[in-house]
Amino acid sequence: MTVHQELRTGSVLAPQTNQTSITQVFRYSAATWNTHRIHYDKEFAIKEGYPDVLVQSHLHGAFLTKYCTDWSGRDAHLMDLSLRVRRFAVAGESLTIVGTVSAVRAGGEGRALVDLALVETRGSDQEICVEGSATIDLPLTWLADGAWS
Amino acid sequence: MAVDDAVREALELEVGVEHVEVLGEVSATLTRRYAAAVGERDPLFHDVAYAQSLGYANVVAPPNFLPGIICWTEGAPYDRLREDGTEGDTHLPGVPAKGVRVMGGGEEMHFTRAVVAGVVVTRRTVLLDVTPRDSRQGPMLVARYADHYLDDTGDELLRSVRTVLLR
Repeated sequence: MTVHQELRTGSVLAPQTNQTSITQVFRYSAATWNTHRIHYDKEFAIKEGYPDVLVQSHLHGAFLTKYCTDWSGRDAHLMDLSLRVRRFAVAGESLTIVGTVSAVRAGGEGRALVDLALVETRGSDQEICVEGSATIDLPLTWLADGAWS
Repeated sequence: MAVDDAVREALELEVGVEHVEVLGEVSATLTRRYAAAVGERDPLFHDVAYAQSLGYANVVAPPNFLPGIICWTEGAPYDRLREDGTEGDTHLPGVPAKGVRVMGGGEEMHFTRAVVAGVVVTRRTVLLDVTPRDSRQGPMLVARYADHYLDDTGDELLRSVRTVLLR
């Protein structure tokens, strides 16, 4: 595994875009038994001041989770993930996540900890919907010497 | 009705009180549906044989599966749902069953170990604090809940602090 050889503090990771849809928002509500009308009742959402039904905060979290695990790979372990919803996203938005390496630290024996700052923006106006952070434990051998310089 | 001093005082009475709930067995169907809903195609989440080849007893749930599930029961009767459709009596200790709008504001999660289908999960929930805040839509309360998810043997699977916005 050499995909992280270029990793350094400040490295910007490849973006990942999730094209949401009304079907996805419905299926997420169904799978999680989330009965909040803001996610499936457009009239209710409009009455609440939004243009359409909203993407669930946990679905944003799932996108961030997937971003981290897709990037880090099988032998890594996503240890921590935090997110703060800054702005809403409606069903149908494309949501793009970009991670930036905020720190590379020593982990357990033969392991390293990589901290990521995560930003999710909505495609319609490039506004930030979610800010987050993550810590990923991965094999030290995946990193080049001096990764945490 | 909106959040007012009575709602805040009721919530403050809940601060520090632990609620323990056996959520039940995590089924492979539920974890697969969750994975499908979020767009996860990793065979670890769908293919038993693949998961077993990696040493797991069954398919694994995506990391944020546990806090993502809003309701672990069949759900409340319709007359016990809030106006916004949320359950009147689940997982929000101290929040009135009627008249308060509930929205997720964020979460901090620590993933201690993989959640494998078949595990029986118990959750411990504590309301950490309640903070009044003004918003464009009027007065709001910000409540922070700590959740610990444990497996059949009491070992931690995941812990989180979730922020819930109440209007």
